[in-house]
Amino acid sequence: MVKQDLIERSPVRNFEKSLGGGVKPGEIGVIASKKGLGKTSILVQLGIDKLLQGSSVVHVSFNQQANHVMTWYEDIFNELAKKKNLDKAADVKAELVSKRIVLNFNQDSVKTVQVIKTIKALAEGGSKPEAIIIDGYDFTKALPESMDQMKSFAKELQIAIWYSANIESSDKGLPSCLKAFEKDLDVVLFLDPKNDCIQIKVLKEHGKADYSTDLKLDVKTLLIADK
Amino acid sequence: MSIDISKMRNIGISAHIDSGKTTLSERILFYCNKIHAIHEVRGKDGVGAVMDGMELERERGITIQSASTQVQWKDYTINVIDTPGHVDFTIEVERSLRVLDGAILVLCSVGGVQSQSITVDRQLKRYHVPRIAFINKCDRTGANPLRVRMQLREKLGLNAYMMQLPIGLEDKLEGVVDLVTMKAFYYEGESGTEMRIAEIPAHLVADAKKYREELLDAASMFSDDLAEAYLEGAETEDMIHAAVRKGTLAEQFVPVFLGSAYKNKGIQSMLDGVTRYLPDPSEVRNIALDLDKNEEQVVLSYEEKLPTVALGFKLEDGKYGQLTYVRIYQGQIKKGDELYNTRARKRFKVGRLVRMNSSEMQDINEGVPGDIVALFGIECASGDTFCGGGLNYAMSSMFVPNPVIDLSITPKDKKSSDQMAKALNRFTKEDPTFHCYVDPESNQTIIQGMGELHLEVYVERMKREYNCEVETGKPQVAYREAITQRAEFNYTHKKQTGGSGQYGRVAGFIEPIEEKDYEFVDAIKGGSIPNEYIPSCDKGFKESLKKGALIGFPIVGLRATINDGASHPVDSSDIAFQLASIGGFREAYMKAKPAILEPIMKVSIEGPQEFQGNIFGLINQRRGIILSSTEDDTFTRVDSEVPLSEMFGFSTILRSSTQGKAEYSMEFAKYGKVPNAVAETLIKEYEAKRKAEQK
Repeated sequence: MVKQDLIERSPVRNFEKSLGGGVKPGEIGVIASKKGLGKTSILVQLGIDKLLQGSSVVHVSFNQQANHVMTWYEDIFNELAKKKNLDKAADVKAELVSKRIVLNFNQDSVKTVQVIKTIKALAEGGSKPEAIIIDGYDFTKALPESMDQMKSFAKELQIAIWYSANIESSDKGLPSCLKAFEKDLDVVLFLDPKNDCIQIKVLKEHGKADYSTDLKLDVKTLLIADK
Repeated sequence: MSIDISKMRNIGISAHIDSGKTTLSERILFYCNKIHAIHEVRGKDGVGAVMDGMELERERGITIQSASTQVQWKDYTINVIDTPGHVDFTIEVERSLRVLDGAILVLCSVGGVQSQSITVDRQLKRYHVPRIAFINKCDRTGANPLRVRMQLREKLGLNAYMMQLPIGLEDKLEGVVDLVTMKAFYYEGESGTEMRIAEIPAHLVADAKKYREELLDAASMFSDDLAEAYLEGAETEDMIHAAVRKGTLAEQFVPVFLGSAYKNKGIQSMLDGVTRYLPDPSEVRNIALDLDKNEEQVVLSYEEKLPTVALGFKLEDGKYGQLTYVRIYQGQIKKGDELYNTRARKRFKVGRLVRMNSSEMQDINEGVPGDIVALFGIECASGDTFCGGGLNYAMSSMFVPNPVIDLSITPKDKKSSDQMAKALNRFTKEDPTFHCYVDPESNQTIIQGMGELHLEVYVERMKREYNCEVETGKPQVAYREAITQRAEFNYTHKKQTGGSGQYGRVAGFIEPIEEKDYEFVDAIKGGSIPNEYIPSCDKGFKESLKKGALIGFPIVGLRATINDGASHPVDSSDIAFQLASIGGFREAYMKAKPAILEPIMKVSIEGPQEFQGNIFGLINQRRGIILSSTEDDTFTRVDSEVPLSEMFGFSTILRSSTQGKAEYSMEFAKYGKVPNAVAETLIKEYEAKRKAEQK
């Protein structure tokens, strides 16, 4: 399979379609769940999808060392390449790596403004990202103004941003730690573990709220399942 | 004199430049009563530290060559191997690591885990060297040993635990609280030699309890005895020591000590840590390769009675000739013994045998297993293995990277040119990453190494030690050429005009391969090329690889396959088939779309957060790729990949754009394709140079 097919047949296409186009430039999305259900895995798949399309991606991690994040990309890319029997996998991988920048912060000492400043510095240096992935951010410690700042930054540079959030459980509506930021969040997903798969539920999607989708994660690989 | 092997330690001191490693070595020697006064590295009193043998090092304030020194601490014998701190000399570091059984990882209490600490730690991990950490310079403003401990965990992924807490910090540093004995240690008197043990100051008791609990929880993982006793509150000091030692030897635990070498605080306790927690030679498994049995692995054992196996890890040119530092792995070395150098395949007799106390030496009659001694007047290269009793072993080959930078040198006068040959001969023996050759076209001597500074230091050493002045050219990156697709050839070499003729036809194809630099495949069927000429074809291709047609650099990653050809009963010869292969290669090479490859370096830059934008800018201007960046509130570290050709003079530029507050380290990562625009320039330059030479 060549790269173009990999993009077109990626389960991310279905993912975006089911979510009213997904997270568009200037928007913020959140994937929420308990620990260990595959938030990072989805984020990395979304990142790889953007990278395959030739976009630059900044992956911000608050809880993992940069080389661990790189290993995530490496593993998921290899899994995808193997599954789809990708041509010239090594060349494609080298291209991806050159478009990806991993940033690692300590949330206790670094505020959202500094994260924005760093990404702006990258953009000025010629590496403007089209998508930002933010993993391991603790929403319970987030300053009230932080999401507004991020949202206006996303709009200003026309960047799509995906967050992950650790939450304990979700009945209907947004989990409590995300409530305060509701107006800035365009898409909020929830991972719901079932017996044989992990179901992706929608808590909020642009104007809509609380509906379920046919989107699933494979429990073994944590990849978004093909339709 | 027989030494009890369990009382022997071979340790190295690994550190980031400027974290005070040489000062620390000096203090260790002092406390072990070997030297009488303490000297500063930078030679405030004009004497200079004993460990830095060379003048040049004294001038730059850095340690370039490692020296091994033996000291006595209590009833232990410790060989201290001082390792160079600059990353351009990593081969020196790596070679030293090979002979170490344990290491002290020195960190600056202010700078913490810096880019080079990461490189050094990676090397320790590669050679599986157990380590203890020493947080030095706790007397400096901004000292924060607990933060450094967290960095050891976060940045290096080490399971690091405090063995001590500081009593006062910065200029108020008085001593340490020992978390095993739960006592306060003060270092008093001139040069801190008088250690006073007292109760823990009241304001530190709560903290001490907290960190002791942490330490015991972690140490209990390695000892059931301790875990049980701890539950009952009956743990003893010995139990804790045993558990920490077990974890440290398994490389799963790193005990952290602290102090200030400069202010003479905490060194004695750290030395106790060395003897308590680092392994003796017999606790480290060492493997040799049996050259008679196809490099089969053999485990060595520290038995005096067994035949000798020793490794020459370091050469030094002294007043009395060549001195070879040797680590004995098995058996012993006695004066008058006959040993066999397995690389050179030569026997030699052990003449003078000495033990080094830095620049002073002491004659001895024998060296015991595990020990480090020095031999006089042995003709050998660094990294050679010496065996006794008919053994033919090699200590496993060390990882040696290929040089990435070339520099042409021309002696300034006749005297220098004689000396230059001598110096180069010595350097290539000492340092496997340093190469030299004479370029047949320009007739210039070219030296090759791992970086600008690496070569600069050798040029300096030529001047100082050999009185040989040379002019250097512009540093040149070691490019490579490689083909990107398969291409066929079918070439006939014919010369049949008068005299004996030449005839040979070779057909086949060349294609890119990844694993190897070169491979030759003979797929001839039906003997269209007689068997005797096949090696000539191979030789012809090898000859062609030496110089690519694009810019005259060696070609790598190529497989040549021959599948057809023709010969002539009279006119075919070795040379005819060599030339036919060269012709065939030339025919196919351009069709195979060759590309230029350049060395890409992994560059880590570290500096205050405010300069982050500048650092990103510098990388982007240099065709670099930013891989990642790690930030906390004050510091930022950026990892990137940058072509070596763009890195010349980088230290100056980095310094000027960050007010001297940022620093970088660099090591070879891989070869990568040169972008088209740059490739075109290189090709044009090469053609212009060739034309100029032809005129």
